[in-house]
Amino acid sequence: MAKAEYTVVGTSTPRMGGVERVIGAGIYGIDLMLHESLHGGILRSQYAHAKVISIDTSEAKAIPGVHAVVTAADAPDVRYGRTYIDRYMLAKHKVRYLGDPVAAVAAESPEIVKRALKKIKVVYEPLPVIVDPEETMKPEAPTLHEDMPLPKNLPADAKVKNVCSYTPVHVGDPDKAMAEADVIVDEVYETQMIHPQYLEPRIAAARVEPDGRITVWANAQAPFSVRTDVARLLGIPLNKVRVLSTELGGGFGGKASGITSGAAIEPICALLAVKAKRPVMIVLDKAEETISTTIRSGAKMYIKTGVKKDGTIVARKGRVIYDAGAYSGFGAMAGARCTQMLGGWYLMPNVHIDGYVVYTNKQVCGPVRGPGGPQAAFAVESHMDSIAAKLGMDPVEFRLKNTPKPGDKIIGVAKLSDVSLGETIRTAAEKIGWGKVKLAKNQGMGIATGSWIESAGPGGGAMVKVNEDGSVTVHIGKIDMGTAPRFGIPLIAAEELGIPVSDVTVVNVDTDASPWDAGTVGSRAMLVSGTATRLAAIDARNQLFKLAAAQLEASPDDLEIKDKQIRVKGTPSKSIPLATVATAAHNVIGEVIGHGYCDNKALEAQQKANGSSQPFTAHACIVEVNPDTGNVKILKYVAVHDIGFPIHPASVEGQIEGATAMSIGQALCEQVVFDNNGRTMNPSFVDYLMPTINMMPRIETTLIHGYPGAGPYGSKGAGEIGCVPPLAAIANAIYNATGVRIRKLPLSPENVLRGLREAKH
Amino acid sequence: MNLAINLTVNGKSVSATAEPSTSLLDFLRDTLNYKGTKLCCNTGECGACTIIFDGKPINSCVALAADANGAEITTIEGLADGDKLHPVQQAFIDTGAVQCGYCTPGYIMSVKVLLDRTTKPTAEDIEEAVSGNICRCTGYTKILDAINLAADRMAGGS
Repeated sequence: MAKAEYTVVGTSTPRMGGVERVIGAGIYGIDLMLHESLHGGILRSQYAHAKVISIDTSEAKAIPGVHAVVTAADAPDVRYGRTYIDRYMLAKHKVRYLGDPVAAVAAESPEIVKRALKKIKVVYEPLPVIVDPEETMKPEAPTLHEDMPLPKNLPADAKVKNVCSYTPVHVGDPDKAMAEADVIVDEVYETQMIHPQYLEPRIAAARVEPDGRITVWANAQAPFSVRTDVARLLGIPLNKVRVLSTELGGGFGGKASGITSGAAIEPICALLAVKAKRPVMIVLDKAEETISTTIRSGAKMYIKTGVKKDGTIVARKGRVIYDAGAYSGFGAMAGARCTQMLGGWYLMPNVHIDGYVVYTNKQVCGPVRGPGGPQAAFAVESHMDSIAAKLGMDPVEFRLKNTPKPGDKIIGVAKLSDVSLGETIRTAAEKIGWGKVKLAKNQGMGIATGSWIESAGPGGGAMVKVNEDGSVTVHIGKIDMGTAPRFGIPLIAAEELGIPVSDVTVVNVDTDASPWDAGTVGSRAMLVSGTATRLAAIDARNQLFKLAAAQLEASPDDLEIKDKQIRVKGTPSKSIPLATVATAAHNVIGEVIGHGYCDNKALEAQQKANGSSQPFTAHACIVEVNPDTGNVKILKYVAVHDIGFPIHPASVEGQIEGATAMSIGQALCEQVVFDNNGRTMNPSFVDYLMPTINMMPRIETTLIHGYPGAGPYGSKGAGEIGCVPPLAAIANAIYNATGVRIRKLPLSPENVLRGLREAKH
Repeated sequence: MNLAINLTVNGKSVSATAEPSTSLLDFLRDTLNYKGTKLCCNTGECGACTIIFDGKPINSCVALAADANGAEITTIEGLADGDKLHPVQQAFIDTGAVQCGYCTPGYIMSVKVLLDRTTKPTAEDIEEAVSGNICRCTGYTKILDAINLAADRMAGGS
């Protein structure tokens, strides 16, 4: 897209909030210190599946220093959930995974908390445990939720159980098209459970105020969702609950799904504070966090594609089994997205894919960075290479052959206004040296593409308050975790109001004062809060012009604002300081407050009429596989993206690099390992391997001149899409190096070596 | 039983008591109120709690407060000179290496020790110095930029 003329938008101005982060200021949830605060702790289930027969808290309550012990009996009989309301904050009749909260304690010290938790006597009746997402669907599997009905849209002939969501993606006549295909490739792919492992432990703190209201502090990505469920579960109105967001030490979707993310740590903490009549703070231990909070689910994906000899894809059939874990959590949405994306983002005239989201006795699915996307893309983009190999076609050429054009539709998008997929593929191929670089023995090159369809979602607002000195305070409902709220969004307010970025403050979320918002989720921070901030700043500017017009003896339409001055266009000498106008507002309207919204329905209508421009990406890499150890080393990695206009290029690159690194971690080493009893074998950082600097290549990011997206200034969401291609890009490079196709993640030395050995026999 | 611990933190002599089992991290954060040193894994794996202990970078979560008696400790709070940030701190901001910022204090401490030793670190030097510091946000690319920028600035004496 053409370079636009802006002053600060489009520059990589240092992030707001950078200084406090490098000097170690105590800004995070974990740094909170409430006067007279008690320590809280949670007793978690010792079984992955059991009936709760009785809970005796008398001994725990008798310990000196214990101020409250709570169980389900202390809370209203109300359940929570996102799509299916299937979960109590504290286990009532059953426990369904090993992290399930059963009781909680508030006491004077962490040691007393630990002692009291041990003294709570829970009698369980163990039930059969099911951890395999395919087995759980069979009639003989144990029933996890006796009172939850099967999804209403399930096909009549589907003989399944433990299903909490079903997504059909049915287009055209795939059976007929498949019968006419020249080549059919049929494969099964499987991805593992990973934990987002943000570094800051999850916290919750709660205090009952003198007026009876409850203040909750949370390091949550969606503070308003937390407020909703704290109020619901405690049975109090929303105006009696105030959620204050602390700074977040990472989230990646792991803190994004309201109270679901932290297995209700916030309402449990609030309940303790009510019972103890003292402030309470809970800090999760990292190992406790791994077993109890939301994860990226594993998926099993059957994928079968029919193609013509010339490489034209004619049909796809598939089946997704998406593991929601013990409760539905974010499973319905993530599973639906995975199912849609298994259809790919290429031309696909005939599709029949069924997506099942199922209950098992494991950690609960959360919206972890690109929920459903990396899983589907691992299957789709590995499969593309398998098809290319069977056709004897070059993988790049095969992809380009099936790339949509403007006006085409892809699954999830009715009409594309433009398509940069081909450009990203060609650019990635060029940057990696596709077909040019001479690879040594055991080296291979792989490419994979991705998209992250921007579609309907919640709207959101912004307020821009103009202070009397001309500086502004921006209120949005999204929190900063290294994303748009304090990188790109301050630039927008500065741009539209002609002030330096340093004169802009974006305040953290306070549900009493901030506009409602669905949270920093879904690559939507810039789209929603950026759009709203831009419109709010323009609204504020218009109000300022109206106030200044009389003094400048000009029409408001003839005014402009630059360098903190409001002036008559073309007559710079006729000007008045912004501060003067903002101060004068005190005697007229009080304060200039600009309002703006991201209107989701309007956006939808616009996209329906004109089509939409989606973000596309292609990643390519060179790997070296050690044939003796199975170790995979990434020698070069390029990430090519169209994210429209980058409002803060360094931040966009940072999002892409971070998302890519997370998926490189999932590709090569990360996994939550569990046994048949549902017990996590590697809960702590000692055993949960994550990428360190030693195993990471330098990620070479290229932002192509793409097409304007739906966001402000033509931007597109950048937070998640980088997670989509890496799994397959690396798997394809391993295939290119060894001739071995590994269809089950991770591509760890153990699994690669097994693949190499099986290929020999 | 409480132990008396006398140590120097960021150039200041400090005396306090701690249980024998108290980690140095908890002692710094909860007793002495140096909240800049971050708590994460508590198993010495992530580096978020890195401090400089008698000139060496250590994970304070797996050190005992008792072992710090007589030690000279630098935490992230001790790096800036008033409002003037240390070159490593400034470089992290300038390169966009600070996303959520939670690993940043520990990272900066590890890098400071490296660059105090040499302002011309090799790739291997850098890898060795910060391989114990996990960052989940950046993919390390911009952190490497920050280390190189800080090294250049420190070599140039600016």
